Amino acid sequence: MFKEFKSLLNLNWIYFFILLIIFWIGEINLYSAAGGSFDPWASSQLIRFLIFLPLFFGIIILEPKFIFNFAEIFLIIIFIGLITTLAFGYTGMGATRWIRIAGFNLQVSEFSKIALIIFMAKYFHKLNAEKTIGLFKSILPLMVSCIFFVLVAIQPDLGTAIIILALGLVVIFYAGIKLIYPILSLTIIFLLSPLLWNLLKPYQQNRIQIFLNPDLDPLGKGYHIIQSKIAIGSGGLKGNGFLEGSQSSLDFLPEKETDFVFAIFSEQFGFTGSILLILLFFVLFLIPVFKTFKLTQLFNKIILFVLSFKIFFEFLINISMTVGILPVVGVALPFMSYGGSSLLSNLIICALILNFMSINENKRMFS
Amino acid sequence: MEKNKISEDSIKILNRRSFIIISIGVLLSFIISVRLFSLQVINFNFYKKKSVENKVSIKLTPPIRGNIYDSKNNLLAGSSSLYEFVVFKYLNKDYFREIKNLDLLIKLDLNFDKIKNRLKNYNDYIGFSVKRAKWEQIVKFEKNKFKFNSIKIIESKKRYYPYKNFSHVIGYMGQPTQSYEHYPKGVFHLEKSYENHLKGTPGKVFSEVNAKGKIIRETSIEKSIKGNDLYLTLDLNLQNYSQSLLPPDKKGSVIVLSVIDGSILSMNSNPTFDAQIFEDRENNKINEFLKDEKKPLLNRAFSGFYPPGSVFKPIPALLGLQRNLINTQTEVFCKGHSSLGDRNYYCWKKDGHGKVNLKRAIKESCDVFFYELAKKINIDDIAILSTKLGLNKEYDIGLSNLGKGLIPDKKWKKAFLEQSWYQGETLITSIGQGYNLTSPLQLATLYSAILNGGKYPIPKLDKKLPTKFIGKKFNSEHQKILINALNSVVQEPRGTAYKLSITNPEFVKIGGKTGTSQVIRIKESEREDDLYKSKEVEERFKDHSVFVGYAPYDKPKYIASVVIENGGSGSAVAAPIAHKILNFAYKNNV
Repeated sequence: MFKEFKSLLNLNWIYFFILLIIFWIGEINLYSAAGGSFDPWASSQLIRFLIFLPLFFGIIILEPKFIFNFAEIFLIIIFIGLITTLAFGYTGMGATRWIRIAGFNLQVSEFSKIALIIFMAKYFHKLNAEKTIGLFKSILPLMVSCIFFVLVAIQPDLGTAIIILALGLVVIFYAGIKLIYPILSLTIIFLLSPLLWNLLKPYQQNRIQIFLNPDLDPLGKGYHIIQSKIAIGSGGLKGNGFLEGSQSSLDFLPEKETDFVFAIFSEQFGFTGSILLILLFFVLFLIPVFKTFKLTQLFNKIILFVLSFKIFFEFLINISMTVGILPVVGVALPFMSYGGSSLLSNLIICALILNFMSINENKRMFS
Repeated sequence: MEKNKISEDSIKILNRRSFIIISIGVLLSFIISVRLFSLQVINFNFYKKKSVENKVSIKLTPPIRGNIYDSKNNLLAGSSSLYEFVVFKYLNKDYFREIKNLDLLIKLDLNFDKIKNRLKNYNDYIGFSVKRAKWEQIVKFEKNKFKFNSIKIIESKKRYYPYKNFSHVIGYMGQPTQSYEHYPKGVFHLEKSYENHLKGTPGKVFSEVNAKGKIIRETSIEKSIKGNDLYLTLDLNLQNYSQSLLPPDKKGSVIVLSVIDGSILSMNSNPTFDAQIFEDRENNKINEFLKDEKKPLLNRAFSGFYPPGSVFKPIPALLGLQRNLINTQTEVFCKGHSSLGDRNYYCWKKDGHGKVNLKRAIKESCDVFFYELAKKINIDDIAILSTKLGLNKEYDIGLSNLGKGLIPDKKWKKAFLEQSWYQGETLITSIGQGYNLTSPLQLATLYSAILNGGKYPIPKLDKKLPTKFIGKKFNSEHQKILINALNSVVQEPRGTAYKLSITNPEFVKIGGKTGTSQVIRIKESEREDDLYKSKEVEERFKDHSVFVGYAPYDKPKYIASVVIENGGSGSAVAAPIAHKILNFAYKNNV
């Protein structure tokens, strides 16, 4: 089940250190979000990190074959988890997103992204396609993605659901579906968008309307976006400096420790800091991607590429929300937003990436 | 295992697809970067301003209003402490129930709807003043303090007026009416006109607030600056003395003016009011004053306009001298009336004065002398000279209800009555009756003009104002003739006010002129009217008693102008009051 313990030494240390730097930035940011205090967020986020660390290294030395073999089992476990969430879940802020396991409030939907990607990677690997893939052979992964999307969307957690669906589609696209299908489906979605609008919950419609024009409700639902833009804009080129962000320290910024954590960062460190952060995440994304070019096994390629993309993708979606170019749908900023499930799932993803980056394809792998 | 090894083609496809996905990621990053650049670099100033507006709250601290003093630094208006019930919403969610309980405990007669409305959008952390607290209410509240979490007693300042005799001059304060006004402001008389001088500058407490308006810390404080003090020309003792001399049951006024620099030393009006009731918000008393038919709020020395009566006579006399129509030798025979056309114009002395020259005409106030003179005079010339000598003018000394009265001329009559001027009206005007309307202040300036030889100081209430002269010098010979005649009114036997010299020989020697101004010209038909017969109307139509005097008569320093409405003859009522006041001013060297 596990590789030799000393295989840990073959880690891609650059990737690991960039990861640590990002987590450290997140810690600093949570510290400043609390007005210069480890309490309540920075300290508990650090404790979680330390608790998750053995698991992190455990996954790094896991045999890739083990992951390959149990892909379907993971998927079923997650599926049951999502059903359980809906049935017995813990409700907060109008949504049922969490279940309690061993003292943790676990957001199963976060882990469903990983299970889905692993499952689909295995599916396309086994497909062993010569060239591009037809629609028929993509139906099963598409269906699984859609089921997960629906299960999460009715919690309701539209943000996570959209990410799940998008990641599913990215896997299918990456695995080589004929280009005609994505183009066709985008056209259909565009044409059906008025119908989809009516399917949204009123609060979701509201969020989109207010995204388009925050001034509709400056003290109500537009407040988030307006205050977030004020925080970021007032940061300027160089930022107000560490702990000098008045928007965040004075509570003008709602949900500052979770979805709007980037605004706190940007208020303190300005345009320069923000661009550096984007570059840092971009490098974190690219390191595994370069590795994929050297790989020939489809399972390895999909796992590395899509998992790495997942972190970068969520990062981009989150900042787009915060700067007001996408509606606020509730997507966490990886390693920076406060929250256990997000941290754990992203650590698992990074552990998997580190695991698959040190892979030696000369061995006979998935027999 | 071999079958799981994918073909070269398939790998190429995957790698190509990865470039597409990376490109999308790069594109999105680029869009975000552009957006960040727009927010943080291009629109930085806009968001920075918004951010500062968000966090900074400016709380004003009221400045202390400037005091008002008399010429000898006696306090006439100051500030004193007062206590208010103030509610802070953040201290208790149930603040409104506490206000109701407070009203139950201490009868405050609160308007709950109004308070609820005002409080609805009021800042949680800024106190809202519910009502002023009286001493016994404070005691009662303190005993029950534990029941009220959101209500506190807070000290603030109110205006304090120690002497009610100054209310006509100082005025009073009112509530702010404009949104940019934060504190009570002067709304009447000097409090109003000197508002900017007195009000001072509010202090500012800049604090950082959080999204709920709670103060996190005070960042800087600008101290409030006390308003400037105002020093008046009035004299506390003279003002109080003059007021005490006014008959309490009559409407009347006194003004004492300095001949030297135009300082108003005393300005009284009866009935008076107490400005303090406006400060103490005693609404019942305020309403009483507003409704009172005697108009206690009117400053009669400044905005009471009456026919001047005989005190006007120096003007036609001077005009006659200047035009060589008369000289000191010119004599007129007064047989009790003078005729013009088919109408007779009567002298106040039915039997006539006999042979009268200018001096006697003024001394004994012979009307016929002036009728005869007026027959040769153009009314427009009288109007012009009156204006030169201080009548028909607005004196902006800082009081409300500015007015200039009326000195008629042909143009005015054409414009307002659409009639031509009759020479008979010139006769009436020349003895101070007819359309003439002058205020006691204007009469004082008329005599100041005569005593100063034409160039006289503008009256003032503000001691710090420099003395300014207006008018043109006239022939000093003419001035001597006039003053000699005016002195004889009091100093020589048969003068209309000679009685003053006999009753109080120890008083300062004064000169002056009596006047008895007819309130209304009653037509023959009206005399038969039932209304006129009633006593009340008779009182209302009684002549005004007017006297303008100056002291000492040989080297004038003070002018006193006294009008007692419906008081009767000038010599009997107004003159003795003026004499006492002039004597007081002179003896106390006001």
